[in-house]
Amino acid sequence: MFSSEGALDKNMKVLVVDDFSTMRRIVKNLLRDLGFTNISEADDGSTALPMLQGGDFDFVVTDWNMPGMQGIDLLKAIRADESLAHLPVLLITAEAKKEQIVMAAQAGVNGYIVKPFTAATLKTKLDKIFERLG
Amino acid sequence: MTVALTKSITLEQAKLFVEYLENDQQDKADALMAEIQNPINSDLFAEIGKLTRQLHDSLMNFQLDSRLNDLATADIPDAKERLNYVISRTEEAANKTMDAVESIFPAVDSIQEQLQLVEPDWQKLMSNKIDLNEFKGLCHHIDKLLKMTGKESINIHSLMTEVLMAQDFQDLTGQVIRKVIDLVREVEESLISMLTAFGITEDMLSSAQDKTTKSKPKVGENLVEGPIMNKEERDDVAVDQDDVDDLLSSLGF
Repeated sequence: MFSSEGALDKNMKVLVVDDFSTMRRIVKNLLRDLGFTNISEADDGSTALPMLQGGDFDFVVTDWNMPGMQGIDLLKAIRADESLAHLPVLLITAEAKKEQIVMAAQAGVNGYIVKPFTAATLKTKLDKIFERLG
Repeated sequence: MTVALTKSITLEQAKLFVEYLENDQQDKADALMAEIQNPINSDLFAEIGKLTRQLHDSLMNFQLDSRLNDLATADIPDAKERLNYVISRTEEAANKTMDAVESIFPAVDSIQEQLQLVEPDWQKLMSNKIDLNEFKGLCHHIDKLLKMTGKESINIHSLMTEVLMAQDFQDLTGQVIRKVIDLVREVEESLISMLTAFGITEDMLSSAQDKTTKSKPKVGENLVEGPIMNKEERDDVAVDQDDVDDLLSSLGF
């Protein structure tokens, strides 16, 4: 189990986007273990975007390869929407081509985790993202 | 070639032609005239006739090869079903495992909470600084801890057994996937023999194969490729998380 220190707000509203329910469940469990309690789910970008626009989410964790709207397109849509542009976005994906990683960085991703990943990697990346956001 | 190209018509042919006409054998006369006009054609026609028969026979053989038909109408749909079975079995196993793990978390948490209740008075006891009331309280806490630990360890043990049993998907899906691999191999062989029948030589096939093994798998228009199998052989992918982090930090992350 993790003990997360720091000023990280554990009540922040998190949206987990992945087309596989088992992966959403894993990410949710890991986030819960890190102390996050306010977690919602969406199964692709086109479901996630209206949820983000309608709710006061603070953080998005998304897969890349999904039917419907892909994670990279969701990221671009978030950055293009003035009311959402500030949202930190963490990609957790099996996509590992350098070209794609560069593309995600250019699109303004806050963190990039390749599957298969560990609980420790998730914690490190989250700490880094929120430390940088201050 | 029976007719010399230098002559356009022989005396014999002319006599024969007249004879056909006199005997009202118009068909034979026409055929002879065609032969005289273009002597090569008869050989060409014979050759085309032979090829047509071969092609016809080949096509008939393809129709007779019922295995091809079975592959397309039965085996491949069956393989799709098998692969769907793999998806549902692995999903089921993942959920069963997570059900058990999610039940184990609170069991372990409650034991830990109870331990924390025991801890301060226990430390006092160990350093001989405990009074009677605290000692009574400690006894109650320890009693509860013992009972809870006993109950939860049985509970956790059976949940762990569920996690263990959920791993049987590996055997079952492994068998199914192996069958699908066999089918893919058979389809590959059928395709190669079909190409061979249509005159594509093995040299052409293997040189085409060389090209495909050397070239990287094509990425769809959305750039996605999914998990990468042969990371070590490729220079266009990040091998692991460290590789990703290095790339990102080189970009100023």
